[in-house]
Amino acid sequence: MSDAVASTLDRLSHVPGVRSALIVDAEAGVPVASELGMGASATAVAALTASLFRRTDEAVRQAALGGLGSFQLETEEGHLVVAGRRELIVVVVADRDAQLGLIRLEVDRAVEALQ
Amino acid sequence: MRNGPGTADLQRWSEEVARDPGSPSFLPLAEAYRRMGKTEAALRLCLRGLERCPGSVDGHLLLARIYLELGERERAADEWAITARLDPDNFDAHRGLGFFHLERGEYASAGRHLERAALVRPGDPAVQEALAVLRRHLAKSGGASQTAAMANGSGAPELAPPEARNGAGGSAPAPTTGRVETAAQPRVAAAKRVETAPQPTAPAASAERVDEVAQPPARAATAEAVEAAPQVTAAAQPTTGTATAAGRSPAGAAKAPGAGGLDPARVFEPLSKEAPFLGALLLDGRGLILAGSVRVGGTTRSEALGAVVGPAAEEAARTAALLSIGRWRGILIETDRALLHVAPLEEDLLLLVATECGTPVGWVLRTAERAAELARRFLAEGVV
Repeated sequence: MSDAVASTLDRLSHVPGVRSALIVDAEAGVPVASELGMGASATAVAALTASLFRRTDEAVRQAALGGLGSFQLETEEGHLVVAGRRELIVVVVADRDAQLGLIRLEVDRAVEALQ
Repeated sequence: MRNGPGTADLQRWSEEVARDPGSPSFLPLAEAYRRMGKTEAALRLCLRGLERCPGSVDGHLLLARIYLELGERERAADEWAITARLDPDNFDAHRGLGFFHLERGEYASAGRHLERAALVRPGDPAVQEALAVLRRHLAKSGGASQTAAMANGSGAPELAPPEARNGAGGSAPAPTTGRVETAAQPRVAAAKRVETAPQPTAPAASAERVDEVAQPPARAATAEAVEAAPQVTAAAQPTTGTATAAGRSPAGAAKAPGAGGLDPARVFEPLSKEAPFLGALLLDGRGLILAGSVRVGGTTRSEALGAVVGPAAEEAARTAALLSIGRWRGILIETDRALLHVAPLEEDLLLLVATECGTPVGWVLRTAERAAELARRFLAEGVV
């Protein structure tokens, strides 16, 4: 793992409320690096989120809305934030009451760092 | 396998799944339903089972097969991709992905997956045929270097001339290269090819051989449904698979909910005075627009958005369930040209709000709440 990826992941995983943070190869759907909460499977999270990101990107392109920048899913128990522009995407799973503003800021930074 | 499960098996599996949807019995039960032609029931069982067991390779493979039978090739490919992540040497996943990419003219990806499949199961005739087709196509289109790269790749299989195998197959296959080139057109394949799941571009002879070994023939109705499926990506199709229904205008739904007075196209007009607001749509579970409109860059995007939002939300809901983070409540999608918020409204209705890029997220969420109030009012008037 490169220093840039490691420090990016470290920052993300230390944001209050973040359960898991991953850098994922969007095309292959495999985790490049991960900091996982208990019970989480990096393989499953990477595969599912990469698939979701690719499909959403394809859908918004079909609707002539350009490329997908980020995708944020709010659920009863938490949030899933996925962002990226190139082959690597940043994935964060966070608690329901997590500081979303801070998470989004760190995710944006992470995406920039990975460019 | 010619003999299906007996009534006692079905009953036992049903009871086990009823007690625990994540019971391993969801697999044989879903497969039995699929074979009986109860594809939707099989799909529900499989999705529910995978929510509890997201790491089930067989579950994802079965789901891929069901999606394929429903004509949802993109979704099938997603399931194969997940399977390949969970089990990197899974033959069915690589074969499915190989044919999927071949059909779309994505030859590099097709080659990677087909070669991987051939490594796992060198004698599979359909994969060998597809590799031959691919090599022939690359050679024909001047991709000699790619052909060479394929042949020199890690353990690329020895390929006999396709003509030789065609002769051995006992029937005259269609010109396969031509089929690859016209992959975007509706299928011309027979029911058996549908049943063999990842066989869309394989020569008929190979498909039949594989089918005889692996699977019973598909029901004609299922095959017809798949044959008739439009060759657009699943993401652009409403969940029912009836692509033509997706883009109906609000006027078409005017006598449904909201008929009590509000013009469906103007339901969200009170919000339109605010600069970043591009519009909102009230959609049913099939992607049909009930009310509202969205304009992006001066062009109406309502129909296109209506078509893609439903499947995207469904996918998000499924991912949330698989990740065990509860039921979904909203999705925020940032694109190059707009910021979209999608949320469930009631029953199977969806509400989409579109704003300019760079709009503060908090404002978008507040606006989504106000749009939800307007939508509810519209629906309530319809009930009266």
